[in-house]
Amino acid sequence: MKAVILATAMTIVLLVIVTLVLRFHPTPRRARQMMLSYFACLIGTALVWFATSADLGFLAQSLLIAPPWLDLSLMLFFFSAAFFGGVLQLYNLADRGLSLRILIDFAEADSRFIDIDWLIANYGGGKGLAWMYGKRIAGMLETNLVERKAEMIELTSKGARAAAVLFAVRRFLRLEPQS
Amino acid sequence: MLTPALATLAVVAFWFLVFVGIHVFGLRSGRDNAQWLVRSYAASFAAMLASVVALSMWDDFGQMLLLSMLVAALTSACLFVLYVPAVYTILTSLSVATLVLLRRSGGRVPEASLYDRFASRRLMQQRLCVLLDAGHLVRDARGFSLTPRGRAVARAFAFVKRLWRLGPGG
Repeated sequence: MKAVILATAMTIVLLVIVTLVLRFHPTPRRARQMMLSYFACLIGTALVWFATSADLGFLAQSLLIAPPWLDLSLMLFFFSAAFFGGVLQLYNLADRGLSLRILIDFAEADSRFIDIDWLIANYGGGKGLAWMYGKRIAGMLETNLVERKAEMIELTSKGARAAAVLFAVRRFLRLEPQS
Repeated sequence: MLTPALATLAVVAFWFLVFVGIHVFGLRSGRDNAQWLVRSYAASFAAMLASVVALSMWDDFGQMLLLSMLVAALTSACLFVLYVPAVYTILTSLSVATLVLLRRSGGRVPEASLYDRFASRRLMQQRLCVLLDAGHLVRDARGFSLTPRGRAVARAFAFVKRLWRLGPGG
């Protein structure tokens, strides 16, 4: 139970830190800021675990996870899952979620009824659908998955390896032509 | 030595693997991903909890049943929230779709044709259909409009965007 309590408490601390960092120290590399916040909290979580007693001074014997290394491992796993599956995913959805942005555009529009042409032109708070895809291209250029040569977009060697793995997975799931 | 917690984690791992197997089987069979994902996980989660209870009774871990159930439920939920984003990245990410298209096209494609394909009316139509199916939008002769459910989701994420100062995003 110590693992659950500490992981929960540190996830709340992490959420507060991430919120403060994003609000008061904005940079273009927000995911990196979040990762640094996570690693700092991860170290803090481990230190708190070592600094406190197994029963935290109030837990019954039947609520203690044995052996102690398993309690520590579970705490780090719960905390990491809360970050990678929770906080970071919330950021990804809020910052890059296409469908969610469509819903927000609907909610912020002057008119209650909207057609596709309006959405294509005004997607992303008025920036348009081409801007959205430009962000994806920019992200792939920044992470060196693709490169721009004249008017062509080309896979880099890193991008080709990633594409091969993704293609194999999609083919296994029968999302790609099987021939 | 096999402690109650280790035995519980072994049960969780087994049922999560069963879930992944069933989910992948469903995807390969062309089933609707969202429904199949929820149903297969709910079934494996219930079976996992039943197995933990049975294990506790059988192996005299009864006094630790509460802890075993909590650890099992949390561990399974954590595995699920790590699994789902990976699945959706493979299924719906435009960046992934772009990389796969580039591979299929010999590694290079004119930038304009990528925009034609991925910043297109067809893409918007597909996403609107998904939102209609999910009950976030409705459609009539005047166009598309938000349902109360869609408005609630939009407000929640608009709040997160404001809180974290994320800008327009999307």
